Amino acid sequence: MTQPLSLHGVGARYGTTRVLENLSLSVGAGELVSLLGASGCGKTTTLRLVAGFLAPSEGTIRLGDRDLTTLPPHKRDIGLVFQNYALFPHLSVADNVAFGLKQRGIAPADRARQAAAMLERVGLSALADRLPAALSGGQKQRVALARALVIRPPLLMFDEPLSNLDAKLRIDMRVEIRELQRANGTTAVYVTHDQEEAFSISDRVAIMDAGRIVQLDTPEVLYRRPATAFVARFVGFENLLPMTVSSRQDGAVMAEGAGGVSLTLDERDFGPIPDRFVLATRPEGLVVGPPGRGIPARLGLRTYLGRAYAYRCETPAGALVAHGALDAPQEPGAAAGLAVVPSLSAILPAAA
Amino acid sequence: MNRTHPALIAGAAVVYLFLLGPLVVVVGSSFSTTTFLTFPPQGLSLRWYENALANGAFRASFVTSMQVAVGGTFLALLVGIPAAYAMARRRQALPGFLGLFFVLPILIPEIVTGFSLLRLAAVQVGIPVLPALILGHALLVLPYCVRVVGASLATFDFSAEEAAISLGCPPLKTFFTVVLPNIRSGIIAAFVLAFITSLNDVSISVFLTGPGISTLPIQILTYVEQFFDPTVAAVSVLLMVLTVAVMAIVERTLGLTSFTK
Amino acid sequence: MAKSSKASDRQGAAATWLLVAPALAIVAGLLVAPVANTATMPLTSGRAVALYQRFFTGAFNQAVTLRTLEIAAVTTVVSLVLGFVAAYVVARAPQKARSILIVAAVFPLLTGTVVRSFAFMVILGRNGLANDFLQKVGLASAPLQMLYTEFAVIVGLVYLFTPLMIVSLVGVLENIDPDLSRAAASLGATPGAVFRQVILPLAVPGLIVGSVLVFTGSFTAFATPQLLGGEQQTVLATLLYQKAMVSFDWMGAATIATVMVVITLLVVVAMTMLARRLNPATG
Repeated sequence: MTQPLSLHGVGARYGTTRVLENLSLSVGAGELVSLLGASGCGKTTTLRLVAGFLAPSEGTIRLGDRDLTTLPPHKRDIGLVFQNYALFPHLSVADNVAFGLKQRGIAPADRARQAAAMLERVGLSALADRLPAALSGGQKQRVALARALVIRPPLLMFDEPLSNLDAKLRIDMRVEIRELQRANGTTAVYVTHDQEEAFSISDRVAIMDAGRIVQLDTPEVLYRRPATAFVARFVGFENLLPMTVSSRQDGAVMAEGAGGVSLTLDERDFGPIPDRFVLATRPEGLVVGPPGRGIPARLGLRTYLGRAYAYRCETPAGALVAHGALDAPQEPGAAAGLAVVPSLSAILPAAA
Repeated sequence: MNRTHPALIAGAAVVYLFLLGPLVVVVGSSFSTTTFLTFPPQGLSLRWYENALANGAFRASFVTSMQVAVGGTFLALLVGIPAAYAMARRRQALPGFLGLFFVLPILIPEIVTGFSLLRLAAVQVGIPVLPALILGHALLVLPYCVRVVGASLATFDFSAEEAAISLGCPPLKTFFTVVLPNIRSGIIAAFVLAFITSLNDVSISVFLTGPGISTLPIQILTYVEQFFDPTVAAVSVLLMVLTVAVMAIVERTLGLTSFTK
Repeated sequence: MAKSSKASDRQGAAATWLLVAPALAIVAGLLVAPVANTATMPLTSGRAVALYQRFFTGAFNQAVTLRTLEIAAVTTVVSLVLGFVAAYVVARAPQKARSILIVAAVFPLLTGTVVRSFAFMVILGRNGLANDFLQKVGLASAPLQMLYTEFAVIVGLVYLFTPLMIVSLVGVLENIDPDLSRAAASLGATPGAVFRQVILPLAVPGLIVGSVLVFTGSFTAFATPQLLGGEQQTVLATLLYQKAMVSFDWMGAATIATVMVVITLLVVVAMTMLARRLNPATG
């Protein structure tokens, strides 16, 4: 029942504007892949292409052994969950869920039974006779989910399904979505602009920018080892320092950056370090310490984060954000040295 | 993706041909040299336009129509804008059926309204023809004024009004300096809709026009019942030109899609 | 504090009523009172029963009433079909084409009923386009009498009201979220099924509103039956006019007026209730 999805060399344009270029993507059977990016990056376009609401200008889309490229939407057999839910306002909750079964010519008694069973699974049996207008946002989202799942599609797709819900409900719903998807073993594509949501729900995440996939990896790899500066910034590496290697000795690499900043990095921590690279660190990967060690800095505004203090720092290499311990708060204007924590930092190839 | 079925497009094309074709026929026949109405026109002449413009009855009725349309519309806006404002701003203070009350002039058959107004004006009160026409048309177009201005007010954020008052602007001045400029497009739309409705009215005017005073549509009606020559086609074309001019003004100021709202 | 706010509330309510008062006065004084007066005229005449009895049993009046209802019903159905087809295409057209098509529908709407009815006098007349065409194609050997028939009145009224139907339906169809069609398609609905199971049910309120407008409009229309139907095709509106202005039988005119008001209101109420029943989502 579950099938792999593959896009090969897909392009799309609206009029003369190219919105997607030579995009290839494989989603394994039963895998959940998120498309993550800012608005306009092409993630929703990709979803619309797979759903069949938009025709690709080139490339092929396959689901299992079927070629979807030119198939009309209603023959694609894909369960879709819309951002605004798109529930049929004139149909009851039960009829909404049964809609897809009706299209498949299933007998009324059968589809009522299947719809009821699915509503039971999403915990909405009591609301079966209500109209969508009488439901809360979370309930609507469950109906939309039930409606997409009940047709047992080989592929499920979600278009920012949680963006209209409040924060608490969002977290509950994503756990629920993940559990249902796992339980059915359905292949899934999940579009979102929320990094935390994408990382928490996905087997792999494709980070998109300007109509291309910039990096496709597991959340763990993306979080630890971003491949480009764009991805690094996207996943929270706020400090980017371009550096050049000045000497190497037994895996210890001396490198220099702007303003004469000099650091020693260990290839055992980072893997092979190229001659020119960008050092990316998270705010918590730069630790405020006594002057004379690491990157020399003058501390600026201090903000309290609960688990640490964050400092805006002026350094010869530019403005950076670092964290400092709670037991030793520093005053603005104090001199300090910023030490790099390798496990919270990454080496990126130098910008071309 | 979801293309509209060609058969439907063809159907819609036929409907539009049906909508616009007859107007083309009127325009065409107004240029005919024949003394009877025919299409396609035989020959090409402006004599029926000369005839129409030289006709004293048409000219007088046009003037009456303009007086009635302008007067009736102004009167309707004058009472309609405060009413729409009150209903939008202080809905809780007013009973819910009020909105329905202002729809009554559309709900009650116009011909009945006209007949009842005739009895009121001619028999019970005794109002001269022109004021009676203006009052009747004000009643006729009032629902459009209340509704269109009300729709415009519905999108207005009244916190701007409260802000102005909190900054020391007196309420009445606030209405004129803050509210009115923001519903300007609604008022223009209401004016145009009301003006055209009044200009085209038959069912009320037919009872209220008196000896010597007639509106243009009633004059056309009377003329057509006696003569069947292209003069009326020429008058119709002139009316259409007027309508086009009004639509162009709306298009310039508001965009025409405001009519479907 | 509480007291003063209550006082200002009352003051506010009075001011609010003051704003509404002039408009209320116009509707009450120029519509409600005169129409009520007309409606009670037969009732207070002391021979109300006789008047209505005479109206409803007279063969001529019966024929006129039935003809008026028939004309209104046929006009409504035909405009509904024509209007829906056009509105559906317009609502799905690209932005630019849509604006042009809406203008093209609004323009006839803004052209007066007299002018538009007159257009069909030209087309359906003995020397008109329709007769020309029929003779050229060989469907008629001599000019047919088309003017002053029920057909002419219906064609004229359909012409009058189709734009109204288009304009009210385009708004409704445009408001149907395109994601609903997409959702239905993703669930396997063919384009036909999307239309029948999603678009059509959601358009029902608009269809009903449009039908009410067209039915009551054609039921009470005056200029079109006057010009295209003449005396041969008298309808209630033209009969009322004749009684009032030609034979000066004001009692008879008032009787017809009452009948028209009652039928109109009945239709409006019935259709509104039907709309509620058919689309609980809007209720």
